[in-house]
Amino acid sequence: MTLDSVLSPLFFILVFPGFFFLSVYGTFLEWVDRKCYALMQNRIGPPIYQPVADFIKLLAKETIIPKHCDTALFKTLPFFAMASVITAMLLVPVWPQALFPFQGDLVVIIYLLTIPTMTFFLAGWSSSSPFATIGAVRVLTQLFAYEVPLMLALLGPAILAGSWNITEISKFMFQNPLLLIVQIPGFLIAVITLQGKLERLPFDIPHGETEIVGGAFTEYSGGLLAFFNLAIDMEMVVGAALINAVFLGGSMGADGILAIVVFLGKTTFIVLLLSVLKAIMARIRIEQMINFCWKILAPLSLIQIAMNIALKIRIG
Amino acid sequence: MKIITKLITWSQMKSPWIIHFNSGACNGCDIEILDALTPKYDLERFGVLLKGTPRHADVLLVSGSVSRQIHKRLVRIYEQMPNPKFVVAIGACACSGGVFDGCYSTLGGVDKAIPVSAYIPGCPAKPEAIIDGMIKLLASLKE
Ligand code: SF4
Repeated sequence: MTLDSVLSPLFFILVFPGFFFLSVYGTFLEWVDRKCYALMQNRIGPPIYQPVADFIKLLAKETIIPKHCDTALFKTLPFFAMASVITAMLLVPVWPQALFPFQGDLVVIIYLLTIPTMTFFLAGWSSSSPFATIGAVRVLTQLFAYEVPLMLALLGPAILAGSWNITEISKFMFQNPLLLIVQIPGFLIAVITLQGKLERLPFDIPHGETEIVGGAFTEYSGGLLAFFNLAIDMEMVVGAALINAVFLGGSMGADGILAIVVFLGKTTFIVLLLSVLKAIMARIRIEQMINFCWKILAPLSLIQIAMNIALKIRIG
Repeated sequence: MKIITKLITWSQMKSPWIIHFNSGACNGCDIEILDALTPKYDLERFGVLLKGTPRHADVLLVSGSVSRQIHKRLVRIYEQMPNPKFVVAIGACACSGGVFDGCYSTLGGVDKAIPVSAYIPGCPAKPEAIIDGMIKLLASLKE
């Protein structure tokens, strides 16, 4: 094993597109989201350094560990969430190509993005507080609602491209931009379900402050909470990057630095879409969300898939 | 070391998350606190976020005089907050007992139960006064 073969994966994991890039860009996107939300409510909104200040403050705070909780689990969960998100990022194309493309990475990435949700559930469950337990159960219930439409929506372009490889799908979508017009329902479904995955309004049922105080994170404080927040920011970046790659043709054939600029611009655009959704809607109840996902989004995405199969047969 | 301490102080000044507790107010002060959080006054531009759980919060906003019944609960909420933590007493009642002072069922001001960092007078305290008090409390962190 040469030094280079150890150093370059380390660079990928720790600097770009791994931990460092994701945390910087994630905190930036959190600011974009909060600022856009504030502007839509006719407010001034937080300054650009706000997420950084929040993070440092939480790190410096005392971390309280409840007496009756599973201490080891409670302490390691935020890092599990972060690790799985960073791993997922290694499979999304930031350059024209993903770092480690292979057939079926679309499925793997959806699986990796489910792990943070599971850690939220375990976080709530292991903190043994009634509010956190209710929040944890809601996290799982919500997972079953949005996961299926999200998967089906992402399948649409995969069927058209005839490949399970994200890099190939994004190349295909870029070469056939007209097909994007047919994919608009699928794109919207993916954006809405991503909102559910990130547990933001109108799907922030697992931590509805007015009902169950802090939801699954009720007992978390200090540094552990900071890392959970960071993991959620990172998940937002990866989710936006995934939708960008699958539906919007990824880096659009650009190369080098330009590819990264295109990537940043398009993911910011998707996050802006997410914050508009957040600003114009109020929280819905859990059974409304499940009805909406299973009775409206899932059939719609099935229709989308049927349409794509018909199209695929037409164009061959 | 000095730089890190400075950075931490800066972050504490820029990101105070609050939790609101009614210890026996007439609800006048509570409405004013909510008022300060509305888009018109927009506390988020100072980094203030309203949190539901004491574990996430740095600043406890208490309104109203402390009644004997709520005394234990107030202390418990205060103890559940991670350090460093601050308490702001909002309204004449929270500062000194106000119109409820000397009543058989009340203990008096908030400082009878827990240590208070800032007092914001008024009956009810105006949203402008609440924001001003918060900013002055944060500015005092520098020293
Ligand atoms: S200070 Fe005035 S408004 Fe506030 S709780 Fe007391 S009586 Fe009510």
